[in-house]
Amino acid sequence: MASSLNTERDPETTSATSAVIDAQDLHKIYAGAGAETHALRGVSLRIDSGEFAAIMGPSGSGKSTLMHIVGCLDTPTSGTYRLAGHDVAQMDVHELARVRRETVGFVFQAFNLLPRATVMRNVCMPMLYSRTPADEREDRAVEAMRAVGLEDKLWTHRSNELSGGQMQRVAIARSLVNDPSLILADEPTGNLDTATGDSVMELFARLNHEGRTIVIITHEPDIAQRARRVVRIQDGLIAEDAASTTAHIRGYGDGEA
Amino acid sequence: MRISDLFSETFHSLTSNKVRSGLTILGIVVGIASVIAMLAIGNGSQAQIESSIQSAGSNLLTVMPSSGGQGGGGFRMAASNVKSLTRDDAKALAEIELISGAAPEAQGNGQLVADGTNANAQLIGVTPEYAAVKGLTVRSGGFVSQRDDTAYAQVIVLGSTLADDLYGEGVDPTGRRIRSGNMLLTVIGVLSEKGTSGFTNVDSSALIPLSTHQRYVGGDEYLSTITLTVADESEMSTAETLVSSALLERHGIADPDYADFRIQNMADLLATVTSVTGTLTALLAAIAGISLLVGGIGIMNMMLTTVTERTREIGLRKAIGADDNVISLQFLVESVVLTLIGGGIGIVAGWGIGVAGGNLMGIAAIMSLDSILLAVGVCAFIGVVFGFYPARRAAAMSPIEALRYQ
Repeated sequence: MASSLNTERDPETTSATSAVIDAQDLHKIYAGAGAETHALRGVSLRIDSGEFAAIMGPSGSGKSTLMHIVGCLDTPTSGTYRLAGHDVAQMDVHELARVRRETVGFVFQAFNLLPRATVMRNVCMPMLYSRTPADEREDRAVEAMRAVGLEDKLWTHRSNELSGGQMQRVAIARSLVNDPSLILADEPTGNLDTATGDSVMELFARLNHEGRTIVIITHEPDIAQRARRVVRIQDGLIAEDAASTTAHIRGYGDGEA
Repeated sequence: MRISDLFSETFHSLTSNKVRSGLTILGIVVGIASVIAMLAIGNGSQAQIESSIQSAGSNLLTVMPSSGGQGGGGFRMAASNVKSLTRDDAKALAEIELISGAAPEAQGNGQLVADGTNANAQLIGVTPEYAAVKGLTVRSGGFVSQRDDTAYAQVIVLGSTLADDLYGEGVDPTGRRIRSGNMLLTVIGVLSEKGTSGFTNVDSSALIPLSTHQRYVGGDEYLSTITLTVADESEMSTAETLVSSALLERHGIADPDYADFRIQNMADLLATVTSVTGTLTALLAAIAGISLLVGGIGIMNMMLTTVTERTREIGLRKAIGADDNVISLQFLVESVVLTLIGGGIGIVAGWGIGVAGGNLMGIAAIMSLDSILLAVGVCAFIGVVFGFYPARRAAAMSPIEALRYQ
């Protein structure tokens, strides 16, 4: 049943050059104390450049595991995964770090900003590790902060002086500075009220409109619906993969949150 | 990560928790400061003792009466009660080839009464050779002459401190009269300041002719010491052997174990004292080193706490692409910078404490380049060693676990 849904987006039938995420038959098995947990049971997923997708599922569905593999924070037990052309399934921690640095921009539920550092410093941080020349950094940070709608006067504020919505904008700006192939947002609205969450989603939509590839991990139907494509994960398999207008989102995941 | 970025990040993270960074630095400051202060005071006192011995003359052999039978055990009389050396012994010893001067002396105490003030001072009976052998010069007047000695002259040369005590500073007492026991002594000179030399502080003593001393103070013909100068300092041991055998022969003693005198070699004394004070300095520094170790453990403790506290930050840094080695380096540099700052302050503080403590004890503290290099080296070592484990722990964290950490 689930596997037949997968074939709706068979990678063979789409252009290989524009794939940002190209995963084939991903399995992930965690060796626990005495029992093995089969978190992913054969997930194949292709997301092309310029897409705006939501990966949706209840806790325990394997969506977090999928996100970790997609974001190169973890490697699959078996299966192949190409991220923006890099074959990452067999990489060691150092190579994974390099791929993350160059191709992924992360946005987290808890923002994860350095509280005592200024907005500017937070946004500049990824460029420390990518060895961006010092004279370029400020320009790129300013560009990113403008792109997410952070006003100039906030740039010198400490990040713990900001509101939740502002903090998430800083985090999104931070994810943009290294010009990643993929922006991966894990429950980006989970710590925000509805109105602020909406505006953050609008920002993602706008960034997507400007050509960014965005993948959002969420369990909230309202959020998932604002993406253009919804991939539902259940029990380690893709249960549904469809445009958000046609996907069975409603009444799903209500047991969450 | 660029070097400048590394230090900028280090500065930022150390200043974001100033109190904790400050306390950790304090631990290192205390450790380094105590090591530096101990070494400075130790080296200072060692140098002082050495110079005091050297000012007495490191080419001196001092012959003193001593009871025989050292090797055989049993009853032994206190050295001061033994009387065995005479003026003739001194004359005979002066004839030995390696000996360039011989100064016999007799010591005793006397109450000196001068124009209404009085003082109890050490009265030393000397011959004219005494000035040359002990390296004394007069501030005013003259020294005891051969004629004074021959004529049992009632003349006295005052030490500089004693003269000031009796007559006040800036007064030349030459020609004044001093009464002591049955003697009415005329002041013929005042010595220049000499400082403690060996075991006698000549500044607070008074010198009279040896013959006068033996007649009026000692009451016999015996000496308390014969001080000999050796022409060539490298032949101290040979000279000592020659002096010893000459005296044994004069005193008719066959077995050196039963000698009625002993010879003190200043060069040997200097070596012994130097090694003793060196050991003491090392001991003090070792004790201070323990507080340095404690400071180092403090660093490790703080860095471990920091790693735990910044787990999520480490997770974030890894997620945005920081390599494990870079994370490790960041934490290592933090701990090394902490110790080096602590070390820098510690060196300055230790120097201050050394100088202040030295002043209280009357010692000129000596700050050597060696001890600074040692302190800096130890600091860097502590920073690396105690920072290494926390740094590895930070680097080894899984980014997923770290991001999830609450």
